[in-house]
Amino acid sequence: MRIDGYAGIEDYALIGDGRAAALVARDGSIDWMCLPNLDSPSVFAALLDVNGGAFVVQPDVPFESSRRYLPDTNILETTFRTDAGVVRLIDAMTLPDGRLAPMRELVRSLEAVSGRVPMRWRFAPRFDYGSSAPRFETRAGVPVAVYRTEALALRHWDAGTPTYRDGGIEGRFECGDGARSMFALATAYGEPLVLPSRADAEDRLQRTARFWQTWAGGLQYGGPWADAVRRSALVLKLLIFAPSGAAAAAPTTSLPEDIGGERNWDYRFCWIRDSNFMIEALIRLGCWDEARSLFWWFMQATAITEPRLHVLYRLDGGVGFSEQTLPLAGYRGSHPVHLGNSAVDQTQLDIYGALFETAWLYSEGHHAIDTDTGVVLGRIADHVCDIWRRPDFGIWEVRNGPFQFTHSKVMCWVALDRAARLAARGELPRRHASRWRQDADAIRAFVEAHCWSEEIQSYTRAALGDGPPQLDASLLMLPLVGYGDPRGPRITGTIDAVVRMLRHGDFVYRYLVADGLSGQEGTFLNCSFWLASALARNGRVREASDLMGVLIGRANDVGLFAEEIDPHSGAFLGNFPQALVHLALVNAAVAIRDAA
Amino acid sequence: MTLFASEVVGGFAGTLVLTTMTRSASELGLTRVDLPFLLGTAVTENRRKAKAFGYCLHFALGVAFALAYGAFFDTIGWSSWWLGALIGAVQALFTGTVLVNVLLPIVHPRMGTPDTAANEVTLLEPPGFLMLNYGRNAFLVSLTGHILYGAIVGWVIRL
Repeated sequence: MRIDGYAGIEDYALIGDGRAAALVARDGSIDWMCLPNLDSPSVFAALLDVNGGAFVVQPDVPFESSRRYLPDTNILETTFRTDAGVVRLIDAMTLPDGRLAPMRELVRSLEAVSGRVPMRWRFAPRFDYGSSAPRFETRAGVPVAVYRTEALALRHWDAGTPTYRDGGIEGRFECGDGARSMFALATAYGEPLVLPSRADAEDRLQRTARFWQTWAGGLQYGGPWADAVRRSALVLKLLIFAPSGAAAAAPTTSLPEDIGGERNWDYRFCWIRDSNFMIEALIRLGCWDEARSLFWWFMQATAITEPRLHVLYRLDGGVGFSEQTLPLAGYRGSHPVHLGNSAVDQTQLDIYGALFETAWLYSEGHHAIDTDTGVVLGRIADHVCDIWRRPDFGIWEVRNGPFQFTHSKVMCWVALDRAARLAARGELPRRHASRWRQDADAIRAFVEAHCWSEEIQSYTRAALGDGPPQLDASLLMLPLVGYGDPRGPRITGTIDAVVRMLRHGDFVYRYLVADGLSGQEGTFLNCSFWLASALARNGRVREASDLMGVLIGRANDVGLFAEEIDPHSGAFLGNFPQALVHLALVNAAVAIRDAA
Repeated sequence: MTLFASEVVGGFAGTLVLTTMTRSASELGLTRVDLPFLLGTAVTENRRKAKAFGYCLHFALGVAFALAYGAFFDTIGWSSWWLGALIGAVQALFTGTVLVNVLLPIVHPRMGTPDTAANEVTLLEPPGFLMLNYGRNAFLVSLTGHILYGAIVGWVIRL
């Protein structure tokens, strides 16, 4: 069911190969795909503009559909049921197998289950975020969409005779009697096209399925909600940009936090704080290679600016980008559509805590921090001592700051606490360790004196000023990063206050105060999972388990989560699927299992 | 000084200046290019050992390139510092577009390439075209360093 041509955000599923990714709608339309990389310009952008380009394969008669991922894979199976019969569509991005293959390859394989179903397909790419229609050519009988040095070749087998119409290629055919049709979209950027044979594409599809099953089979998680944890691990693996090891926050830009509003951001970057959660989750799941790769990327990316850190980095490790507006209509009229993210210029002190927590977890995971890295971390710890008193824009990147955010101060405490502990182990230089410990104590004293409200019996969003005390869901992180006694009265009071003031049904708002932007937003799903984790650390395991069960039940039909959810309608909001939510899910499952 | 000796001395001195310059640029926050580190991590994952190996390998390559410069000068029958600088500029261009952008990721066991997919895990990001993944100034630093290298080699190898 589409509204004004737009599918619900929860109607999408993600496929990918660790370099590029695509969103497939429940009705068989691929509405988002950037090539050749996750953060490249789009070739399909119907997600953000009905004229932005799409690749549709669906019954040509009324249908209902159901979906699943093939077990332990990132290969999507959509089953279409019609009055004429049933067909099954397999969607995947194949992985290279060492033989000559297209630079990126998207395979769509269709199989008749029963009856004879009339099918239609339409391939209408629009390059450079929908701004440029391609020039279509035919090479060796294969339709090819060309734009500058980019080329998309659509090989098709048993899928009718293609015709060119309205800037796209389309066809109709009947799928029945156990027939199998197939499409292979081969892409090339600045190099010659490789046109795959059907046998090669089918072989790569099988090998890709085996790779995902082997990879998922290596996950080390035993505990409740194992299916949700495995699905989260699989989607997180798709968000790790394999050429560099960086982790994208989401594969999309500008899916709105408020339908029709301006809260639309580009998440195709690697945030320092997300990397902390990512490394924690990867270690917990036994993905040592990915954790090590991300830590190496982390230390390389920060090399130019250290001891100062940027909030986010490009997936290739660069920092040179600015926020621009794209000429797309936006999801259901939600514009602007952004390219780039201006949060890069903000001061956000919590990222220093994220870096040191990452280093600590990495070290705890029996990966010794080498001497050179230790020297760099020592310089960064010294920098934290110099800057922790400053106000900042905080974890939520508010646009009306800066403020003396409590969470930021606590994360500076985390930075210096972990630095001192690593120094005690000999993994950081010990020269300034006493200064780090003294400043960590000073931060704790500041938080306890200025960021606690007797009135609401909770830590507050920011250091208390003239106004009434405000709450913020980021305070749920305090027990998760080891600040204070997780079962003590102050943490208990803070959790209770969040439940009392920010919880709406099963979900949690991040805050209820002005942030410099217009419009309302939904409840943040990662905050809801943080609440489950905090409850577990607080000893309220039953309460945490109940909440966890409810939250996992609110995933879409293939187990994915967006950044936010509308607490009234249950519709997803914001970029999709979002790494931070799946990371919070994994870490909450582990926290509850361990507490139980 | 024989031609061979001057090539060795010129190559060593030029590499010394090139390495010092890129290291200084890195310390000044201009680039993340660290050629010894890139070369050394092809041998070991240990960062400190990698840098030690890398420096040795980088100096060896510097001398090898100086031998090639010397052969070229010998072939055309003359040399000068500015001709060396010109060849250094070409070498920087080759390094940024082909050597570390295309060839190094292919042979480096721990470096990703644009084709690296989910079924591989790498430790080093590829440098990218003109090494721009390592910072916007990466190529300028490399170009300046290689021009200085070429000028020194051209000046030392006086035919």
